[in-house]
Amino acid sequence: MSALVLLSVVGVVLLYLGLFGRRTALAATGVAGLLGTIALIATGWHLESPLFAGIVRFDGPARAYTLLMAGATVLLFLFGVDYYARMQRNVAEQYALMLFSLVGGILIVSFSNLVMLFLGIEILSIPLYILAGGKRDSFRSGEAAFKYFVQGSFASGFLLMGLALVYGATGSFDLAAIGTWSADAAHGHDTVFLLGLLLTLAGLAFKLAAVPFHFWSPDVYEGSPTLITAFMSTVVKTAAFAAFHRFIAALHLPDAVGTMLLTMTVLTLFLGNVVALRQTQFKRLMAYSSIAHTGFLLLALVGGDPRSGDVLFYYLAAYTLATVGLFIILTLAKRAAQGEEHIRIFRGLFRERPWVAVAALLMLLSLAGIPFTAGFVAKYRVFMLGLAGGHVLITFFAVAMALLGIYYYALVVREAFAPREQEGGTLAVAPLNWLVITLCGVGVVALAVWPVALP
Amino acid sequence: MAALFYILAAISVISALTVVGARNPVNSVIALVVCFLSIAGHYVLLNAQFLAMVHVIVYTGAIMVLFLFVIMLLNLNKPGGPRKSLAMRLAAAVAGGLLFLTLAAAVRQGVAITPAAGFDPGVGLVRHVGQVLFTEFLLPFEVSSVLFLSAIVGVVMLAKKDKDEAPDPHITGPERARRTA
Repeated sequence: MSALVLLSVVGVVLLYLGLFGRRTALAATGVAGLLGTIALIATGWHLESPLFAGIVRFDGPARAYTLLMAGATVLLFLFGVDYYARMQRNVAEQYALMLFSLVGGILIVSFSNLVMLFLGIEILSIPLYILAGGKRDSFRSGEAAFKYFVQGSFASGFLLMGLALVYGATGSFDLAAIGTWSADAAHGHDTVFLLGLLLTLAGLAFKLAAVPFHFWSPDVYEGSPTLITAFMSTVVKTAAFAAFHRFIAALHLPDAVGTMLLTMTVLTLFLGNVVALRQTQFKRLMAYSSIAHTGFLLLALVGGDPRSGDVLFYYLAAYTLATVGLFIILTLAKRAAQGEEHIRIFRGLFRERPWVAVAALLMLLSLAGIPFTAGFVAKYRVFMLGLAGGHVLITFFAVAMALLGIYYYALVVREAFAPREQEGGTLAVAPLNWLVITLCGVGVVALAVWPVALP
Repeated sequence: MAALFYILAAISVISALTVVGARNPVNSVIALVVCFLSIAGHYVLLNAQFLAMVHVIVYTGAIMVLFLFVIMLLNLNKPGGPRKSLAMRLAAAVAGGLLFLTLAAAVRQGVAITPAAGFDPGVGLVRHVGQVLFTEFLLPFEVSSVLFLSAIVGVVMLAKKDKDEAPDPHITGPERARRTA
């Protein structure tokens, strides 16, 4: 509770700072608030409140995901110092909206009542719709905001209808009560419950960008400001997956839903990896790569193994580190290339900034799942879970897709290490950005040596 | 009572179909108003007067008037709109049809839907709603303020006109002169 209150108050303080024109204090205040949140969560100070028992529960996974999301937001705020330096207006609002979105994220990783799940997803999403349209002079940004908003509202409608049906069937919004109800064999074939689950999972799958609910993701990723794209693909993805896992792990899923999840996994793995092969714009490539990673993460969940929580957390941590770093490098390269986003803007990176290129290499290798990086360990653990769950064929399919995925990451690596043909603009790296890139680059290797587990 | 329910249900379904099917946006909005009113009728049948009142005031009153204003101001009150390609319409029909099939099959199978709990006629009264809202669901109630605050911030951020910003090229004539002055 204390963490939620602190974050909301810091968001309001940021708005006031913006009102009084204290631009330099914005990121520092935001980071201070986030560090305070991390301290509160880590020490467990006043997390639970008896007033709100049964609505949210800050158990081990909830705290771990909160720490991960707050940590990623700290990295993004540090990046924001440089990113927003040239922006004239609405900087305070953007920081504040990211904090409000994070509040929604914390609510859905700790929910134990379906009302809170729905409200949390809305609190997570509404700031995002606005942030996606943050570049007011850009047509693409407006397009991204509009598409995200329309499709997101549609998904919310599905989610709400699903939750209403689940309530109608079980008579409760409480996650534990629904779990007990669904464990009863007599309720295994309850049509209303099944229908409710189907619609709820469809609504949640939209947030995960799982096929066939992924159509928004490439356009929104491409149109949004890069910092917001990074926020979406790290913090929001983490929150959505943690909530998804919290929901399905608490229930006894009927067989039909299990089949649906498996189908979704296979489709997501296939489409994400195959379409990514043909992408030349870096942000679209990252969007399809994000869809592909959704497929691997789903594979970790479908078995219903008790260890899947650990694997999910580890995978998301590895993915978050690599993605944040790569989006920062993209922004720097994009600036040097006058706003172009084709992957050839990375050409000559190694000649010019050897350390940045090496960090980019580490992060790309981690996303591709090459040994000695966190991405490899994460994928390995996912495949082991898939085999343990008895999905041998699907696991082999996933391995094949992971091998296919190496190709499109290698394309970017090749550009970064190729010599540049003609002289372009120079790549300026601010000290704070250098720090974050280094943290991410070292992090993906360190995480491979020191695997983290949920408390 | 049962007859009243069926009449209201028929009105809801027909008006909802009209919302989707009408070619003129103004007709769609009017049909939506009718749909909302009939749903408010359902709430009254369930003895949830508070919900019915709020529904009429907020949705039928405020939000639908806003819809009408937007349609009038943006001059959208002409039938038509962008034409969709055949492939797109086919895909939409197939996807929607599949969902409809699933729902229809579920309803057919579950004719004997047994409610999880019996109906309590006091559940929708304002006294009960207030009690639940400020005890059991206090956190969702409080935290929705973050949602509203971010929506307000967003509106200001997206719609505010800055002094140094170029005037909107779509606004011409005396209005433009007035704004730039």
